[in-house]
Amino acid sequence: MRAGIGLRSQHHEAILSTASLPAWLEAHTENYFHAGGPAVRALERARSRYPLSLHGVGLGLGSADPIDRRHLECVRDAVRRFEPGLVSEHACWGHVDGEHFNDLLPLPYTEEAVEHLAARVREVQDFLGRQILIENLSAYVTFASSQLSEGEFLAAVVERSGCGLLLDVNNAYVNASNLGLDLDAFFGALPRHAIREIHLAGHARRRVGSRELLIDDHGSAVCDGVWALYEDVLRRFGAVPTLIEWDNDVPPLATLLAEATRADQRLERCSAAAA
Amino acid sequence: MQRPRDSAADLKALQAAFGRTVRSVTADDADLQLLAGSDEVTRFGEQIDVYRNNAWQFFLTALERTYPVTQRRVGADFFRQLARDYRVQHPSQRGDLHWIGAAFPAWLASRMAGTGYEWLADLARLEWACEASVAAARHDPVGLESLRRFDADVLPHLVLMLQPSLQLVASPYPIWSVWQSNQHEEAPSPVDLDTGAEHCVVACVAERVAVYRLDEPDHRLLRHLCAGMSLAAASENAATDAATLGRLLGWAFGEGLVVQVVRATPA
Repeated sequence: MRAGIGLRSQHHEAILSTASLPAWLEAHTENYFHAGGPAVRALERARSRYPLSLHGVGLGLGSADPIDRRHLECVRDAVRRFEPGLVSEHACWGHVDGEHFNDLLPLPYTEEAVEHLAARVREVQDFLGRQILIENLSAYVTFASSQLSEGEFLAAVVERSGCGLLLDVNNAYVNASNLGLDLDAFFGALPRHAIREIHLAGHARRRVGSRELLIDDHGSAVCDGVWALYEDVLRRFGAVPTLIEWDNDVPPLATLLAEATRADQRLERCSAAAA
Repeated sequence: MQRPRDSAADLKALQAAFGRTVRSVTADDADLQLLAGSDEVTRFGEQIDVYRNNAWQFFLTALERTYPVTQRRVGADFFRQLARDYRVQHPSQRGDLHWIGAAFPAWLASRMAGTGYEWLADLARLEWACEASVAAARHDPVGLESLRRFDADVLPHLVLMLQPSLQLVASPYPIWSVWQSNQHEEAPSPVDLDTGAEHCVVACVAERVAVYRLDEPDHRLLRHLCAGMSLAAASENAATDAATLGRLLGWAFGEGLVVQVVRATPA
């Protein structure tokens, strides 16, 4: 098992000519909603060489307002067109009263939100005719109404919808720092069988009001703390397909591939230990 | 697991309160109480600023990417102010950032009416045409030789199927010249806005956006051809002569803008 990288427009040409091949690619679903354009053409060419996953950022599954059917139809069309091995979304909401915030907004960890998100996940899975993965968020606030831990919340959604999990290790690290997430309890609550993909990314430090927060900006290399946490995650859950995400201040392709190699080394050690 | 405390209405109410807080510069106390509870209002009020900033930056960046020439002409600061005002009336309606700028040209036309800067709205229309063109499907073009398979008496009744990426924009201002002069890093050469109307065609050929300037009769004729009229009907409706038709056909086939030639369906 080897790590993949997120496909970004800066690498559309290089990814087809690099000698050091990543194991697989992940693309943001919304970038491929349209019939034409250089991004669509580039992904068509890359798809012929690499396994692919599609990762949605705009559906806002947990929004109390109805799912945007136009958006969902575009997701379905992209899935049919590119035939990805994995399709993922986020455990978030994104629009209310007709306005989209184009961001991954946090849900309260309530029984009602579990039921709502699980129903939405089932609706999407029925529409697409396949399982999707949902990703744990990085968050900067918690709600007074939350009754469950984040791990309990995700586990309940998995149980009631049959979805898989995309475990973002950086998001968990960020939440531990910003919100005091108990990482041991978080990972302990997650159903091992459901974890089908892992994300690794960089974050920034920024002063917000009176506090310094970690901001999940995907704009730098994976930090040592997240690498250490990733090793812990591999010990807990075994080797899981892992992706390097880097969306801002995107470096040369070689830098991304070097990050993927670091993940490969840990995956190999994990597999060897399990053998 | 505890007994559910919230109703479906509570999730909607929480998201509406969150939305109002992200949208506004200052948070409403009642909304913060609902979201954070009394103990965490101050911290929540500070940290929700991350989402407020994200929503604004995503919106602004999407608009800047769609309208780089308009932004360059008005300057980054004024463009940011325009974006703030536009967002109040046209908040994002889709999860796909592509659509954020869809209503900007019409909004800008209203905003600039009577200011002497009405041309900016037409420039924005041209940039939105570029955005739409990039997103459109591509088809393999056919050459002028595709006309040869038809008998001469059929030619007036032929209909051209054009690239879906083809967009027409006309303005009483020289918007093509303004757009063209702002395609390079160096300072744009000045454009005399009194030089009059320009008629533009936008299309994506070989994955590059091409923006053409046509003479008004050619543009008028192309508009009728785009509407699905036969060569004869388009010429008649556009009141153009055979030379104009011949010139336009040569250009359209030469640029790869024609994807199929079919015989008009009898009415």
